[in-house]
Amino acid sequence: MRFNRIAAVVERHLYDARHNLERVTDTLYWPVMDIVVWGFLTVFLAQRGNLRPGLISFLLGAAVLWGMFRAFQRDLAVSFLTEVWSHNVMGLLTTPLTIREYLSGLLIINLLKAIVGTAAATIVAFVFYSYDFFPYLLALLPFILVLIIFALAVGILVTGLIVRYTTKIQSFTWSITGLVMPFSCVFYPLTALPRPLRPLALALPTTQAFEGLRQVMAGGGLSLARLGSGLALDCAYLLAAVAIFDWLFRAARARGLLVKME
Amino acid sequence: MVLEVDHLTKDFGSCRVVDDVSFGVSEGEIVALLGPNGAGKSTTIHMLLGLIDPTSGTIRMFGKSLQHHREEIFGKINMSSPYAGFPSRLTVLENLLVYARLYGVQNRQAKIRALLGLLGIDELEKRPMLQLSFGEIARVRLCKAFLNDPKLLLLDEALGGLDPYAATLAKEALMQLQRQHGTAILYTSHNMVDVEELCSRVVFLRRGRVIATGGPTEVTRAILREDRKRPALSEAFIRASRSEPHEVQ
Repeated sequence: MRFNRIAAVVERHLYDARHNLERVTDTLYWPVMDIVVWGFLTVFLAQRGNLRPGLISFLLGAAVLWGMFRAFQRDLAVSFLTEVWSHNVMGLLTTPLTIREYLSGLLIINLLKAIVGTAAATIVAFVFYSYDFFPYLLALLPFILVLIIFALAVGILVTGLIVRYTTKIQSFTWSITGLVMPFSCVFYPLTALPRPLRPLALALPTTQAFEGLRQVMAGGGLSLARLGSGLALDCAYLLAAVAIFDWLFRAARARGLLVKME
Repeated sequence: MVLEVDHLTKDFGSCRVVDDVSFGVSEGEIVALLGPNGAGKSTTIHMLLGLIDPTSGTIRMFGKSLQHHREEIFGKINMSSPYAGFPSRLTVLENLLVYARLYGVQNRQAKIRALLGLLGIDELEKRPMLQLSFGEIARVRLCKAFLNDPKLLLLDEALGGLDPYAATLAKEALMQLQRQHGTAILYTSHNMVDVEELCSRVVFLRRGRVIATGGPTEVTRAILREDRKRPALSEAFIRASRSEPHEVQ
């Protein structure tokens, strides 16, 4: 892997952010809007006395981290889609840039975006709803890592599907996290799910992360079991996503789809 | 040999679009890959660029297999194709800066400005790509193709859409690159005047097969089956396009 080529991918997307208001909207607008809506809900529940102590932390913390997960996965795939929309895929694929370097560049730029978006959402939660995320931050970092790795795996999978099936399936970019969300136990505990669905939920790193998040916020400390399961599942999903991407990429190249990708 | 193509074949389903094509390009040589629409020129170029997998046959560049030495080979080659675009909201300079970094070009801004000047588009540097005309984009593509002083340049309809002045500048730039760096060029075009002017050798494709190869005059003679002293590729092109491949071979 060559650093200059990874830096070139980052540079390309920084220029894009400079010229494209849409990228700023994706990075800042939606994370902040999510928190505004969830914040009003918690205020409403608190006024009616329906809010158990700690529930505000659960809801707003989950909203911030789910927003980060969704944005990271979406932005990774959108970064590739921008190359497709601008017919730039052919140009990039005929340079010495490797797929690993390209994905590393996307990982860096989207990590930066996720940090900016999450920070903005956290500040809004603190200023308008007096929700202080920072005391939990250190203990939550490992679970944030679990979410980011899973978002990376999902983003790679979606990108591979776009390479193989072109923009016909680009809506997956925005919708795939919606498929995962009901089973990820973001805003409710695992026990809230019907019993037959729990094995499916436990097979998702997101469930491990949000269960771990709730334990941290309830003062139960860091669950090494949840963290270990989350990271192990992440590794499995990431390896599978990379293998599937390679397979889809080869299939696209054999069919000549890389040339006229639209 | 800079480029060796050996028995290259590509099938899309039951349709054979490139059929047992073999040719080579030596250092400093400019070779035209000609043929009517659908002859398999672009598919051949795309296989040389690793964008399409051949069904069979081999491609070697600088004596190495493209399949196994992609990264090393792609540092030494470049291309221009009408299928390749640029992010439209980025400026010309920004796009070229990104590509220069990908190729590990030293002193990027100076190199880019020199190339923009060479192709007569230095005033476009700060313009977003979406404000450029088709011909201006073609010249930016050529700037991109020259960034890494390639040893092999694959040009697919690279001068299409250029006005006569821009085309002259582009041809001069090509010749300068060839002289300074010994660049080998594989060139597809439907402009036979350009081909006769630039290329020392022609590989003529028809329905995916090589039907004639040699110097422009030799190819003219082979296709027209007449003793010609000068190349007449336009005439030969029309004859070859009207004939069945076996009638010409």
